[in-house]
Amino acid sequence: MSETKGNFIDEKLLPIAGKIASQRHLIALRDGIMLAMPLIIIGSLFLIIANFPIQAYQNFMAGIFGKNWATVAQYPVNATFSIMGLVAAFGIAYYLAQSYKVDPLSSGIISVAAFLLAIPLDKLSDIPLALLGSQGLFMAIIFGLGSAEIYRFFIQKNITIKMPDSVPPAVSKSFSALIPGFAVVLLVWVLRILVENTSIGSIPNVITSVIGKPLSMVGGSYGGSLIAEFCIVFLWSFGIHGANIVGGIMAPIWYGAMDANRVAFQAHHMLPNIITQQIFDNFINLGGSGTTIALAFMIAFLAKSQQLRALGKLVVGPAIFNINEPILFGLPIVMNPMMIIPFVVSPIVALTTTYFSMKLGWVALTAGIAVPWTTPPIISGYLATGGHISGAIIQLVNIVITFFIYFPFFRAVDKQKLKEEEEYNKEHNITVGSPAETLQA
Amino acid sequence: MKIVLCCAAGMSTSLLVSKMETASKLQNKDNTIIAIPAEQVPSEIDSADVLLLGPQVRYLLAKFKKLGEEKNVPVDVIGSIEYGTMNGEKVLAQAERLIKK
Repeated sequence: MSETKGNFIDEKLLPIAGKIASQRHLIALRDGIMLAMPLIIIGSLFLIIANFPIQAYQNFMAGIFGKNWATVAQYPVNATFSIMGLVAAFGIAYYLAQSYKVDPLSSGIISVAAFLLAIPLDKLSDIPLALLGSQGLFMAIIFGLGSAEIYRFFIQKNITIKMPDSVPPAVSKSFSALIPGFAVVLLVWVLRILVENTSIGSIPNVITSVIGKPLSMVGGSYGGSLIAEFCIVFLWSFGIHGANIVGGIMAPIWYGAMDANRVAFQAHHMLPNIITQQIFDNFINLGGSGTTIALAFMIAFLAKSQQLRALGKLVVGPAIFNINEPILFGLPIVMNPMMIIPFVVSPIVALTTTYFSMKLGWVALTAGIAVPWTTPPIISGYLATGGHISGAIIQLVNIVITFFIYFPFFRAVDKQKLKEEEEYNKEHNITVGSPAETLQA
Repeated sequence: MKIVLCCAAGMSTSLLVSKMETASKLQNKDNTIIAIPAEQVPSEIDSADVLLLGPQVRYLLAKFKKLGEEKNVPVDVIGSIEYGTMNGEKVLAQAERLIKK
């Protein structure tokens, strides 16, 4: 690394970030939930198809496919969104077991069984779909981590049924999962019986009231999300991928809130949550962490210095798709006290305008549609709100406001570089000119 | 040789990949260069000749260095200036230096 850095970062911040980022339970949690991501994006497509908010389109589709077409179009949503918790229960246990180097597949299926065992059935035969989705997310985390821990405990202590060497490895592997699997199922079974004899009624109820609600209240509030966003840009200021670290902790809350909105959106009810994953992906981090899209355009089209103009060609294309590492390291913003000010202020302002314009009802809430974070602004705001133009407008407003926040700082950097270049040219001319003069003299 | 770059999602390193490929072609070298998200490193490192980290994920260096030592693959962080300016030529040279060591 060529630049000089304070000891604070190398000695304090980097190890902490490293610890969080390589903490196996947090990684398993993030990757396990992310396992459902492709499904959620596919489901989002069907959600958009079924709910596109133009009456002529709705009439047209109903004319061709019949009155119930929207219901039919949303069949895949149940198979994608609504199994988010189930997929996470598998995925979290899978990745945790993998990090302990014990059989991940066996651990994953044991976790799925434990997860399902905790859910009381409707009419003794129907699994309530809602609990397999985002409502079951916290349960999936606890059961996924817990069952994988129990599983690896048994495997690592060698408490398994052993088969003679002549038995094929695939067969003996399935037997080695028997004892830990039995232990997990037994534990959940006993737990369920105990809980059913109290007034709370079911394990999902316990988890929702003890963990789910308090955590969602913190992470889903304006203050909580402000702190989260601050941590993201603060880490980035030192060149550490903040979104990656903070996202690992906040994912269950923000994805859960997103899915609760999706459920309400489908039922045509009031949407419950302002803060969702999409707020950060599509409304705050416009152009990348730090809301740098306006800055990218400034560098590309308003810069006078050669250095920034050259950088401009590099930054504007990726910025449209919300990738901004060339700006962060190239301008740079990282470790640059002056640029860090607008870099921290901009997303906090964007979060504030977005939050309050949604709270006041000026801008539609995010409809639980997972618009990938690489989707360009304007389009992403329209889609994320379920096809409301107000979603695109608030993005435009945020871009304009952050333009004015960044502009004076951009000007100052540009001027400074221009001055450096002029001085360099001057010196260059003198050094080229003077030997020639001395020769002539 | 096969150069593997990694960052959080493999997005911004993929920008660098195309720059490095251009630099590689200009020097008439036959290199395979790929960009992957950090979580894929354990499964990809076997096939790599060198692993380079984007500076934004340099907190993973200790972890991947250990992994690299096991597999005999040199691991390092890309300089942030080279990264910011997407200097394919210099990063390619860095990769070559690491392999020769």
